[in-house]
Amino acid sequence: MKGMHHIVIQNKRIRFAFSIKRNITIIRGDSATGKTTLFSMNEEYGNLGKDSGVQIQCDKACVALSGKYWQETLENIHDSIVFVDEDSRFLKTKDFAKKIRNSNNYYVLITRENLPALPYSVEEIYGIHCSGRYMDTRQIYNLFYKIYSETNPGKVLIKALVTEDSQAGFTFFSQVSKTRGICCESAGGKSNILGILQEKLLDKEQKETLVIADGAAFGPEMAHISQLLRGNVNIKLYLPESFEWLLLYADILNKPSIRQKLEEAENYIESEKYFSWERYFTDLLMEETEDSPYPYDKSNLKDFYLQDKIVQKVLEAMAPICLAKE
Amino acid sequence: MLKIFFGEMENAIYTPSIYFNNQYEDEWLEEDLAKAMIEDVDQSKVVSSHLIESPVLGPIPPERLSGGVKTLLLMAFDDSGHVFNGSACGDNCAKWISTIGTHKDLTINLHHIMDFSMVEGFSAFILNTGKMAESYEAYLEEAIKIPLEDF
Repeated sequence: MKGMHHIVIQNKRIRFAFSIKRNITIIRGDSATGKTTLFSMNEEYGNLGKDSGVQIQCDKACVALSGKYWQETLENIHDSIVFVDEDSRFLKTKDFAKKIRNSNNYYVLITRENLPALPYSVEEIYGIHCSGRYMDTRQIYNLFYKIYSETNPGKVLIKALVTEDSQAGFTFFSQVSKTRGICCESAGGKSNILGILQEKLLDKEQKETLVIADGAAFGPEMAHISQLLRGNVNIKLYLPESFEWLLLYADILNKPSIRQKLEEAENYIESEKYFSWERYFTDLLMEETEDSPYPYDKSNLKDFYLQDKIVQKVLEAMAPICLAKE
Repeated sequence: MLKIFFGEMENAIYTPSIYFNNQYEDEWLEEDLAKAMIEDVDQSKVVSSHLIESPVLGPIPPERLSGGVKTLLLMAFDDSGHVFNGSACGDNCAKWISTIGTHKDLTINLHHIMDFSMVEGFSAFILNTGKMAESYEAYLEEAIKIPLEDF
C-alpha cells in the first residue's frame, strides 16, 4: 500500500477523523482519550458491517486484529488498514514484526510500549484529543495530534555533534566538524544514543550538543530519550528522515523533480517494499546518482559530497540550526 | 510502598481491562477513592455501582470505563495478590498509582517508563535493580538502565 488515507470512524456519540500515510502509526497518550473505543468501533464494524451502527469512511478496508489466531487472520488481510489494541500481547513479538515486514497493509498500533523490533517514525506517534462537538451535534469530535511535533530544534548554536550513523552521515559531519573545530562522534547505531546522552548529562562542562538521528525509524527510542532530555537546554535532537533524505532535501543534485518525491514521499513508497522510509531515500539517492561520476555509496562517501558548496547546501537545509565555528 | 518491575514479569496480569470486567466487585465503585479516580481520569460520575455517567459515552456500566481507570481500581481494591500491567495506564493515572502506593504495598509491572514527573514527593522501589528511587529523576536513572528490548 502507498499514499495517504483519510479515515472517519463514527457512531452517534463519537467521531474520529484522521489521516495515515506510513506503514506503521502508533497511538498512545493519556487514559480515557478514546483509544480503545476507536479499536472497538472498528471491531464491531468488522464483525457486523453497517448493522453495527458504526460508520467507517475510508478508501481502504479498516480491520481490527486481535486474538490467539492473529497470524492466520493476518494471512488473509491485504491492502487494508489494520488496527491492533494494547491488549494484544503479540504486538511486541518478533513474530509480529516479521509478519508485517513486506506486508501491503498499513498498521495502526495502540500501545504505550516502545516496540523496538519495529522501525517506526517519530513523526507517526500520535495522541488523541477531543476538539469539541461536531457541527453542534451531540457527537464528540476526536482528532490526532503528534506527540513529538518538532524534528528540528530551531535556532541553536551547536558546539558538538553526535551522529547515529557510523557510515556516510558520520563521514560527512566529521568533515564539517573538523573545519569548524567542533567535535563529532558516532553513536554506532540508534540503540547506543541513550547511553551516550546519559554520559553527556553527567558532564559538568556540557557543550551545546546536537544529536542527529534518522527520524524515519527513531520512534522506539523517542519516549526514553525525550524523558531523559526534558529540562536540559544544551542537548538537542535533529531528526531528519535520514542522512540521504537530508542530501536530497538540500538539492545537492540540482534536480527539482526530486523535491516532489520528498514532499509527497507517501505516494512513492510502497509499504511492501520498504519497512522503513529511510531505505527508500537511500535507494532514491543511489538511483539518482548511479550514472554520475559520484555514485552514492553509504559505506564509502565520495569526495563530491564533501565539497564546500555541497556542505553549504546541507547546512542551509538544516537551518535554523547553526554549527559554531570555534 | 510502590514497587515497580519493568519488563516481562511472571504471573502479572497483562490485560487488566479484561481482568477487571470479569473480577470487579460492585463495592469498589462505592469507595470515595474509586469515585475520585473515575472523576479525575475519565471525567465521569459514579451514579451507582452499576452505572457511571460519562460525558462522551452517556450512561455506561463499569465495564466501559477506560482501561487506565479499571487498572487503578484493580491496584487499589483487588486483594488476589496479582500484579497488574501499569502500562495500561496513561500518564494521567501516575498520581493515583503513587497515591495507592502510599496507602498499601503495591507492586506494578511496567512495559514503558511511566512519567511520574508531575507527582509531588514521588518515590518507588525498583525491583529490577534493587534500588530505592526517592525522586522522579532517580526513578528515571534506574529505569533507563534497563535495555529497551527488556521492557
